[in-house]
Amino acid sequence: MDVGRHPNINLLAYSEVEKVEGQAGDFRVTVRKKPRYVDESKCTGCGACAEKCPTVTSDEYNLGLGKAKAIYKYFAQGIPSAYTIDATICRNFQPGKKCGICQKVCQAGAIDYKQEAKIFELSVGAIIAATGYDLFDARRIPEYGYGRIRNVITALEFERFLSASGPTHGHVYRVTDLAAQEALPEMEKVCQKAVKGLERYEKQFSMTSDEFYGRYESGEFKGGNEEYDKWAAAVVAARKATAELEVLQKKVESIESAHRLAFIQCVGSRDIRFNKYCSGFCCMHAIKEAIIAREHDRDAQVYIFGMDIRAVGKGFEEYRNRGAKEAGVHYIRSRVAEITEGKNHTPIIWYEDTKERVVRQMPVDLVILSTACQPSASTRRVAELLGIELNEFGFYKTASYPPLDTTRPGIFICGCAHSPMDIPESVAQASSAAARAAQVLAGSGTMRLAS
Amino acid sequence: MNRDVLVIGGGIAGIQASLDLAEMGIKVHLVERLPSIGGRMAQLDKTFPTNDCAL
Repeated sequence: MDVGRHPNINLLAYSEVEKVEGQAGDFRVTVRKKPRYVDESKCTGCGACAEKCPTVTSDEYNLGLGKAKAIYKYFAQGIPSAYTIDATICRNFQPGKKCGICQKVCQAGAIDYKQEAKIFELSVGAIIAATGYDLFDARRIPEYGYGRIRNVITALEFERFLSASGPTHGHVYRVTDLAAQEALPEMEKVCQKAVKGLERYEKQFSMTSDEFYGRYESGEFKGGNEEYDKWAAAVVAARKATAELEVLQKKVESIESAHRLAFIQCVGSRDIRFNKYCSGFCCMHAIKEAIIAREHDRDAQVYIFGMDIRAVGKGFEEYRNRGAKEAGVHYIRSRVAEITEGKNHTPIIWYEDTKERVVRQMPVDLVILSTACQPSASTRRVAELLGIELNEFGFYKTASYPPLDTTRPGIFICGCAHSPMDIPESVAQASSAAARAAQVLAGSGTMRLAS
Repeated sequence: MNRDVLVIGGGIAGIQASLDLAEMGIKVHLVERLPSIGGRMAQLDKTFPTNDCAL
């Protein structure tokens, strides 16, 4: 919040660094501010535009689990609070198409379809790269079925399900059940339309469809009016739609929240095929999600499958025990070999119980994959721009002392761009990087540079 | 000697570094690729080990 208001912070959102020249104490940086097609200084963030926007897409903030419009705010509390038009899908930007609805409804007059990218030249003394991380793509482990078995999701997707601002407002359902709930209104519409289509014939021939169809079946109207055949076909279609709707309605009525939840740890980390390192925060993340899931649903049964639980931070071991005691979390020391899909889209976990040395299976409602922290997609590009090196894992290379100095003087890093870490550690590193940058400005920061 | 600092990335680390520098009286340019700052942390519901709200 304070970032948007602080007089000393020039916030350049929706922008990318294009070029960096110079050296510590005197860098010249070119920044490109991408066009939002919305005037940030005029937009009040009221949302009238998105309400009326006809183009629906999936919501990136909610990892595609929710819906967004072509004119969108990345998330509700986002700063700056201005909306942005996604020109790749907005009708106004497609050849031969027109729209202009958002411009009409915007009372602030903030919509500007002709807005262009702006280039800024900045002069700075020091640079801090805090480019964060991406999550391991679980599709790379096909035996876990992510992307194929729909009730297998990632921990960040589960986080969105648990969130009051998420796509399910904090309720946890199986993904396949959500899909059924979503499909219901559409099916109702199809059914209504099919039934309504019969009215025309009923009026024309002054007969109910049921009566007509009975007589048609017994051969009464054969070979006569073509309209009879059409009517009969419409009756069959309507009955089919009604039957399908009933099945779906029953299914939706019987939907319960997902009670049996299983977390799989080390998905893409501590795995010689992908990342050898420990991703650090996932154990605690899983425990946290387990505790919250239990808070939302007292009947939830949570299992965490992992080689070991790494709870090394302040208060972490106590948190682990609290998970077991208060939330009834079962920690299962194991390696999961495969996840298969059973009846009714139920994921089945096949694992080796390493304590008892037997292979077991467990059906659950939802499988949650704790995917590894990896360098963000932009890390390599930013490293090239800044002229700094990467380490063997693709994170920025740093000196062993001082630990946030990169291979180029005057450029520092912090947070998960350094290595996987949790939020308190990221914050502590950020303050440390800020101090290092301030030292450069004071004329002393480069003195202690490691070779 | 130039008195400004460039921070690339508006997640929790970039935000904290920017605020610290700004509080020291240093002018900061904070560049974020997405339309809003907040990063991954903004996608979290609660944080461990205190279960505080992330936002």
